Amino acid sequence: MSQVNQPAAEIILEARNITKRYPGNVALDGVTFRAYREQVNVLIGENGAGKSTLMRILAGAEKADEGTLFLEGRPLVLHTPRDAAANGISIVYQELLALTNLKISENIFAGRELCHAAVLVDQAAQDQRSNAALRHLRKPMDVATETGRLSLGCRQVVEIARALDQGSRILILDEPTSALSASEAESLFEVIADLKRAGVTIIYISHRLHELLHLGDRFTVLRSGRVVGEATRADATRAWIVERMSGRKEGANDAATAISPSRPAVLTVSGLTLPGSVGDEAAQAALHDVSFELCEGEILGVYGLLGAGRTELVEALAGLRPIASGTVAIRGQMIRTGSVRGALQAGMVLMPEDRQRDGLFPELSIRENVVMAAKTGPILSRGEESKRVRKLAAELHIAAKDVELPVTTLSGGNQQKVLLARCLMCSPAVLLMDEPTRGVDVGAKAEIYGILRELAAKGLSIVFTSSEIEETQALAARVLVLCQGRISAEFSRDQLSDEGLFAAASPSVAAGANAATARPAGGTA
Amino acid sequence: MNSVTSTRPRANRFALASARVVLLLLRARAILVLLLLLVLFSALAPEFLKANNLSILTKHVAIAALLAVGMTFVVLTGGIDLSVGSIAGLGGMVAGYLLTQGISLGGATHYPPVVIVILLTICACLLVGALNGWLVAKAGVAPFIATLGTLYIARGAALLISNGKTFPNLGGAASRGNAGFPAFGQSFLLHVPTPVWMMVALFAVAWVVATKTPFGRHVYAIGGNERAARLAGIRVAQVKLATYVFSAFCAALVGLIIAAQLEAAHPATGESFELNAIAAVVLGGTSLMGGRGSVTGSLIGAFVIGVLADGLVMLGVSEFWQIVIKGVVIVLAVGLDQLQTRLQARILPYLTTAGTEEGRS
Repeated sequence: MSQVNQPAAEIILEARNITKRYPGNVALDGVTFRAYREQVNVLIGENGAGKSTLMRILAGAEKADEGTLFLEGRPLVLHTPRDAAANGISIVYQELLALTNLKISENIFAGRELCHAAVLVDQAAQDQRSNAALRHLRKPMDVATETGRLSLGCRQVVEIARALDQGSRILILDEPTSALSASEAESLFEVIADLKRAGVTIIYISHRLHELLHLGDRFTVLRSGRVVGEATRADATRAWIVERMSGRKEGANDAATAISPSRPAVLTVSGLTLPGSVGDEAAQAALHDVSFELCEGEILGVYGLLGAGRTELVEALAGLRPIASGTVAIRGQMIRTGSVRGALQAGMVLMPEDRQRDGLFPELSIRENVVMAAKTGPILSRGEESKRVRKLAAELHIAAKDVELPVTTLSGGNQQKVLLARCLMCSPAVLLMDEPTRGVDVGAKAEIYGILRELAAKGLSIVFTSSEIEETQALAARVLVLCQGRISAEFSRDQLSDEGLFAAASPSVAAGANAATARPAGGTA
Repeated sequence: MNSVTSTRPRANRFALASARVVLLLLRARAILVLLLLLVLFSALAPEFLKANNLSILTKHVAIAALLAVGMTFVVLTGGIDLSVGSIAGLGGMVAGYLLTQGISLGGATHYPPVVIVILLTICACLLVGALNGWLVAKAGVAPFIATLGTLYIARGAALLISNGKTFPNLGGAASRGNAGFPAFGQSFLLHVPTPVWMMVALFAVAWVVATKTPFGRHVYAIGGNERAARLAGIRVAQVKLATYVFSAFCAALVGLIIAAQLEAAHPATGESFELNAIAAVVLGGTSLMGGRGSVTGSLIGAFVIGVLADGLVMLGVSEFWQIVIKGVVIVLAVGLDQLQTRLQARILPYLTTAGTEEGRS
């Protein structure tokens, strides 16, 4: 990280005294946000702090009730996202909007197609300019590829290319790394650095502290719809950000849990091999000969990059994927694989990675979401359920006014706890968690870690996957590293290091060091 | 951090309260429309509220309501069943065949008793329902296409049974031991027509199943988020299959009732009934995307359509205008549904902050 001097940087975009009200709720309360020319302007805040609302206003997708926008000192009125684009402001949303059924070049020009004589689409010109934009980002791709076949990282690059081609001078990135693997994130950071050099102003929203500190030039912290802190890179520290964001000091929560040695094994996985996805040209096994044991009350982390087989592993254990060979046993009892109900009956339950897609029932209440997987009699008793759910909600600190409200009224962190409550209602022996705190703010993250440690102390065995080194280190008593579908290393808690994890997870390094030296804790295979 | 939010809510309390009232009215719109129609028609047509007319009206409604209740479960899972009209037609023809042609076994013709006729008819219809369910749940065919296919298959089968002719005189004969079938559609219990009792009983069972049993909850869960339902250990395929079989059961009852009322089975019976059933379901507030709606709503929806049709006839409105008016009502209903969704989305942020602020402070 080189020292950056900031000689009186110039404000390019300013949102002055912005207030945005929803019925009964003030999302933004007199917020003033400044973006400085050719810098990375970071906006930080917990979920619900108002970051996304502010960004939507800057991108013309929403209008402020009060306050004014200024672009280079001149008042700016945005009615639609098109107005914003015309003024050189583009946004790449967290949930990428790519039209997955269209080609890359069609995505880049969607809604602003280049035409011959204003009638027929000029595909050649679109391809050519798409190629140029992608080359500019140093990410050349075949622009005729269907976007749905791209990785999330590449889709993001496509959206950035779209913004570039529109001649955007201000690029807003909303939680850009939340779906990216470490290596994809690294390459995104390179792209951001390039753009900055090319004169683009970046507004970057995230709550991943380490990348913020690494990237940002200017920091603005939002809390409950108000700006609670502004700093330049020189003044911003991790502790300062956490304190500003959450309104409290960073807890000593990160303290290590004692490892549970020589307890009886609860889960025994041996020789687990999973077929690769159908139609995959690589036709490589998604998982190859994975074996491990999990003890009672142990928290086992599974670390790996995107595509290493993390999700495949926990989904296979939960019965969502058929396995090619291998066995899974709970307390010595073989379980029926490839069946969710088989896994549930054996006491193994999965908390999925993507709670919107695989977890929540958006139409249903908090109560119904919690009890969905629980055993029931032939007739449901709402009163009985209510009692159990309220008790569990209190234990897990689910901030719900009423368990009969729709689950969508909750914040991300609380929704995650609702899923955790659902898992616990099945009284599992083994809790499988795929990215336990994805899209969850810092405060709720620490809370969830605390809850998981408590549960483990009471004897629950937990397997969680993570693509975040920080999370793996904070939570795991032992870590398995997956690389290209194989266990490439195993670390006990005291052997953990950023470098070790990253090296074991990266294909080229792992290939060299595999089997020979990189298994310090002695695998169970 | 509470100081930030504590000053605002009071100012917005009135707006919020009125939004809630509007939302409540929107949610109850089906019953409000029904009451409005009843008042309107009884004012304009004095005959409307006479017991005789109401009896005819409920008999009409019962047929639509039976189909709508069955359809509700399918729609709640995110599916649709276009085949119910054809299944009703097929059911009538199967019953007609058994009653008038009997079963040829070893050279002799046997005439099964009425109870057996009814059971065999229902079984035949359930087979079509099972085919629907299998196509959708196991073979992964889109519900619209699968049931469009069975719509034609069942209708074709109904035509084939009689070569397109009508089976008349379903009264049976005491000498054959199969008399009494018309009672299925024509008899009264406590001065109320039997089909109406069937509607009441079926509705009661469906209501309990939808609201009080794990099966009902699973239906809502699958419509809300199928992937999550699978992960929660719900037998998605079986539940879906069951909804199509139940829908076919309801269609079978309708086919039997109509055949019994007319004492004749015509292969074209039930054409476009599926559209009336879907209209009733939608009027009742069930989302065609699945996951949201109720059996009660569908029952009310069926009444709205029935009352509208009956009332317009009494007022002497032309048949062609009746069709237009029905369409307008359906479009309005869907429009109001959108309004409700939007209003709910507007109110949710308030509920959210109230919850989280209390929890965090």
